[in-house]
Amino acid sequence: MNKFDIQIREDGEHAVIETAGYLNDALGEQLAEKAKELIGNGYTQLVINLEKTTLINSIGISILIEIIEALHEQEGALNFCGLSATQERTFRMMALAKYAGIFPDEESAIANL
Amino acid sequence: MKDLSEPILDRDLQQTQGAQNTAEQTMERLIFSLSELEHLGQTLISGYSNFNHSSKTYLRITLGTLQVTRGVILRYHPTGNNLDVVASTPEQVFPSISIESEEVANLLQHPIIENNAPPVGLEEFFVRSAELGETVDIRLWVPLKIQDEFLGMIGLGRFLGRETLVAWEQELLTTLAHQISIAIAYSRMVEGIQSEKFRLFMLAESAPQICQLLQPEDAAEQVVLQAVSFLDANAGALMLTRPEQQELELSYAFPETLVEGSTAQQNGNELVISCGEETPPAQEATSVDMLKSVAKDGLPGHCLPESDTLFGGKNLMAVPISGRDGDVLGVLVVGDKEERGGRIAPFTDEDVVLLDSFAKQAGVAIENAHLHQEALEARQLQAEMEEARKIQENLIPDDLPDIPGYEVAGHYEPRGPVGGDYYDCIALPTGHWGLSIADVSGKGMQAALLMATLRAGLISELSRVNTLTSGDTENGVCPSAIYLELTEMAMTLNSLLYASGTEEKYATFFYSHLNPETDILTTLNAGHNPPLLVKKDGTCKWLGEEVGGIPLGMFPNDMVSSIAEYEAEHIELVSGDVVIYYTDGVTETVNIEDEYYEEERLVEASKACKDVSADAIREHLHDAVMKFQGEADQFDDLTLLILKKK
Repeated sequence: MNKFDIQIREDGEHAVIETAGYLNDALGEQLAEKAKELIGNGYTQLVINLEKTTLINSIGISILIEIIEALHEQEGALNFCGLSATQERTFRMMALAKYAGIFPDEESAIANL
Repeated sequence: MKDLSEPILDRDLQQTQGAQNTAEQTMERLIFSLSELEHLGQTLISGYSNFNHSSKTYLRITLGTLQVTRGVILRYHPTGNNLDVVASTPEQVFPSISIESEEVANLLQHPIIENNAPPVGLEEFFVRSAELGETVDIRLWVPLKIQDEFLGMIGLGRFLGRETLVAWEQELLTTLAHQISIAIAYSRMVEGIQSEKFRLFMLAESAPQICQLLQPEDAAEQVVLQAVSFLDANAGALMLTRPEQQELELSYAFPETLVEGSTAQQNGNELVISCGEETPPAQEATSVDMLKSVAKDGLPGHCLPESDTLFGGKNLMAVPISGRDGDVLGVLVVGDKEERGGRIAPFTDEDVVLLDSFAKQAGVAIENAHLHQEALEARQLQAEMEEARKIQENLIPDDLPDIPGYEVAGHYEPRGPVGGDYYDCIALPTGHWGLSIADVSGKGMQAALLMATLRAGLISELSRVNTLTSGDTENGVCPSAIYLELTEMAMTLNSLLYASGTEEKYATFFYSHLNPETDILTTLNAGHNPPLLVKKDGTCKWLGEEVGGIPLGMFPNDMVSSIAEYEAEHIELVSGDVVIYYTDGVTETVNIEDEYYEEERLVEASKACKDVSADAIREHLHDAVMKFQGEADQFDDLTLLILKKK
């Protein structure tokens, strides 16, 4: 829970960002930076795997919205996976699900980009 | 004239045409500006709520409209008293610039400020922003505001083909700045609404979830994590009260490293705050004092980073966790409310209300989990008691043997929680008999297992003692040899029990070695109630009273030697003599007036029945105790062992 990490997996046209730990300002800023780098490198199809992130605060949510906006500007797409039931309800309530897909696992999230 | 006039006409014409071109260019720029203003408005209402993201668009439109090649937009953060560069051309990362509240008030008085001519009172601010000004080559600054609310600044530099902005360009800049101000205010409002929406949703979502958790550890963890999450904190902890010790004990902390280096009392992983002493005055209060105060008064509390001695210097907010009956069960504390950009904001009154609301639900959840845990433990204890009872009952003989020339009778009666009473009469191959009675401390499975250990050790030791005495039977009993064997047996049993249990687990034990041929009874007492010898003539004697050692398993052997060594003694029984062995469940039986049965009543009852059979003596003594007891509840087992010389 306390472990704080970001892993990137680039594969052809898409990239997967996997986070671990509390998605707050500190982890969120790193996540935004990595997403920005990937978008800058031409990756407009992204998956964010939150399986190891069980806790998110409102700043983390706002950073995810920012990444969605940045991808939409590039006519890209973002899918989430590995969300807990509460996280999925939160994402739907906060309208993230309106602009990004939610899938149970990384495989289906990649397949539906 | 013509020749002369032509150049003049040409010049006039050129001038007129130049003016027309300038006017056309100005008109074109105005039309472009109007178009860009519309674009800017569209950006504002496009649904992009995050100003930090859309600020680059605003800067691009502003620079393009005003034909400026360089510029920056700074956003003001009132909680941190600083300005962040959110967009710059050329794109570059700049550190935050601090700003005092007096400087903010001063900036609001100036619609446009030249970078090289800062107004009075703003000189130091312009020194702090000099690196940014020089890097971007800023010429003009425009404060961004709505009414008197300062929102940030826009800085412009390197005007294309000119040294400064003309009047209409400055008016256009003011309009653009106003649009950007609206965008910042809108973004702030949307961020606030999103944050509130998130917090209220998380509150509504998490409270019922934690109420379903049945393990206290799970409930504590989720209470802390949910509170940390919806308050945008970066740390949190739950301290639960231990009313008996007047202490607060850490139940869960996030992150796990939160209490590392804490000055509060720590035993291994435990962090405990004593609440017994008086709380000092508020102005000297540390975070520890704040927690004590919240636990004591049941009201929310705050603590500034410089006073936080518990969690390493965090801005803390704490609320009480109360149970259904209003008792304070503990304190929920959160630390360091985050803002975007790594700033730490103070907790607001709304935060206190929100956390307090959550704490009310959390109290129910924690109480539920603890009640569930207690019910489970009670059920497990009940099952363990039943198992222990079975073990204990199996250790007590169903029938006692016939000893030539003697009558033996025993009685064991469980009363209340499982104790550890034990008696036995073991036939030895030599024709001798080992009679024992014991009372193991404690209750439940541990007591039953300790008793089983004692019995196994006793049987093992008796086989060894038996070897010696059997060798002596031809020449009669050698008392000193038996004394030695019995004291060695006691030391061995003591060592065995000491190694098997804890300091609180021990057994009182009385052993009698009977040679029915000689009627010699050799006894050894290890802290047990002295058995009563009732002679045929009615005189009585307590056996082992003078030579009693300490209970088995209480101390290691080397300490036993220095405190009170085990000693044996012997008596010779004659016809009609009765030995009454018992446990303290007999003499400590209470009646409804809270009086103990005590040894005197046992003596009188024993004298009254000495002439009947051992079975009848057992019945008589049992009835006497029951009569004394009446309706009073008993909590200790009742055990009797009667040996009578025919």
